Amino acid sequence: MKIKIVFLFFIVFYLAIIVRLFLLQVVYSPANKSSYLKTTKINPVRGRIYDKNNHPLVLNQNSYQLFLEPKKIDDKDKLTHLLSEGLEVEEASISAKLDMSKYWLAIRGGLTQEQKDKIDKLKLKGVGFDYQTKRFYPEASLSAHLAGFLGKNDQGEDVGYLGLEGFYDRDLRGLPGFVETERDIIDRPILIGVQQRVEPENGRDLILTIDKTVQEISKKKLSEGLDLYKAKKGCVITADPKTMAILALVCLPDYDPEKYYLFTEDFYKNSAISDLYEPGSIFKPLIMAAAVEEKKIKPDDIYDETGQVSVGEYNIKTWNDKYEGKITMTRILEKSSNVGMVYVGEKLGNKNIYNYLDKYGFGQLTNIDLQGEVSGYLKPRSDWYPIDYSTVTFGQGIAITPIQMIRAFASIINGGFLMKPYVVQKIVSGSRVTEIKPKIEKRIISSLTSEMIKKMLVSTVENAEAKWSRPKGYVIGGKTGTAQVPIKGHYDPSKTIASFIGFVPASDPKFLTFVVLYEPKSSPWGSETAAPLFFEIAKQLIVYYGILPSQ
Amino acid sequence: MKKIFLKTTWLIMAILVFANLFTFISGIVLSDEINSFEQKTINLHKINLTLEKEAANLGSLKFAREKAKEYSFDNTSTPQSLDKLGYAYRPVKNEN
Repeated sequence: MKIKIVFLFFIVFYLAIIVRLFLLQVVYSPANKSSYLKTTKINPVRGRIYDKNNHPLVLNQNSYQLFLEPKKIDDKDKLTHLLSEGLEVEEASISAKLDMSKYWLAIRGGLTQEQKDKIDKLKLKGVGFDYQTKRFYPEASLSAHLAGFLGKNDQGEDVGYLGLEGFYDRDLRGLPGFVETERDIIDRPILIGVQQRVEPENGRDLILTIDKTVQEISKKKLSEGLDLYKAKKGCVITADPKTMAILALVCLPDYDPEKYYLFTEDFYKNSAISDLYEPGSIFKPLIMAAAVEEKKIKPDDIYDETGQVSVGEYNIKTWNDKYEGKITMTRILEKSSNVGMVYVGEKLGNKNIYNYLDKYGFGQLTNIDLQGEVSGYLKPRSDWYPIDYSTVTFGQGIAITPIQMIRAFASIINGGFLMKPYVVQKIVSGSRVTEIKPKIEKRIISSLTSEMIKKMLVSTVENAEAKWSRPKGYVIGGKTGTAQVPIKGHYDPSKTIASFIGFVPASDPKFLTFVVLYEPKSSPWGSETAAPLFFEIAKQLIVYYGILPSQ
Repeated sequence: MKKIFLKTTWLIMAILVFANLFTFISGIVLSDEINSFEQKTINLHKINLTLEKEAANLGSLKFAREKAKEYSFDNTSTPQSLDKLGYAYRPVKNEN
């Protein structure tokens, strides 16, 4: 009888357990699930950025966010004092954030491993760290405007801004994964429970067309040039004229992308793609090429340069108001004659001038793969006055970006092809590599015209009125430009934008470099500022590329 | 018959208790291992990033510039110069 009672007791006991388990696991399952089912987001690793030789320009590094749990803090004053020492910040800035009524407070992000270890050693109650990653730039600000920077959006998530970070944000960001596991009270996985893991898709790596060494040379020389010529700002763009693969793109002043928040928005602007300016005389070869292509002129045609030219109520003169009489079209470029270009413009015709400006892509985005590009504005033909057709022949009265200028110029020396400029040549996702090929937008001039223009531009460098320290034995083509700056409807004579665009070697250009200096003080002329800077850069690039002298 | 039934019941109960204990302990051990491997994976990831950073620093132009300055390389020698083409394009001597 006793055994039966014990047996019955066990039966009832087990039945009670089974009923209770049934209630917990089946009947009330959804309500209780959250207490043991833990879902954790797995953040993807943001894609890295490398130069064309696979040297890293932007990587990721370990970082920590320090947080406080005020309810667990024993001694507020001691903690504030020790943290201020550990973080090397004022005590007041920590005290200001410390709200004892809160359960969780983010104090400071971006801490290094060393900083974390230092604070860990203090063994402070109520102090914790969240693991994060942040961007690391091995070459510091070498490619600041190109790379852009990684900031936060309204939800506190990482978002790329400007440059490559902005343009390729979706590729670089990747897709987050998650892990869903049932855990016991001390956070150990329950093996017979739910175990689901979806791996994150890490961000794609970018391999650029940028060459770190060319970028370094450009930046160093531009920095020296800005000091020497006391210019407000400046840019250097170097590209392969055949493909418009950008080899270097530097604008100064720039900013530290790791500490972008210490700079004002003005510093973020990449002048090479975001600033409009009047190009001045470097525009002349474009109009000359159009006139040669349309067979309106030939390089040896003669123009009688007798004096100033009147267009309506305006008088157009040469830069030094000196006139040489009968000169060739090539000589017009050599001496950068404005009146000569007005003649070329008249021969080409207003309709053709406008059509070629459109063909060269002015007023349109080049669609370079950098965030922040502006297109400028080519006003409709109906809004053009006769003086506009004259001034545009020597690059005044039209606003363009430096990237539009170098692209258009590349087209007249590469056989006539207008190419799409690009900065990324490969996108790597694991073992899958997507190559980005050079893209021809359209053909503007014939290869014959291109050869003729190249010869004219070589002659322009060799017979220019200014004499530069050119690398001996090398045939170089190029053109200077000095544009006045329009302010409130008139040109300010004291402010200019000096530029030079040149290619080496002229027979088969390996690189095309465009130098632009805004408001140089030592001299307003492109021939005395931007041109010497170009030749300084060219000398270094000739050695770097191992280009042999041809003369 | 009754004795055999009772002994068998006790035996099954004992086996179940030990099996339960074994499963429970194994579960705890495996869970600890999973936790440990998860932590190791995170640490490896961190070490990986640190090493990548160090390697990038050593290969950077910034580091090369610092070293050049340290050894006065930029002050005392001019390895590349178009004004001294004889140096820049020094012909390689043929050993044969």
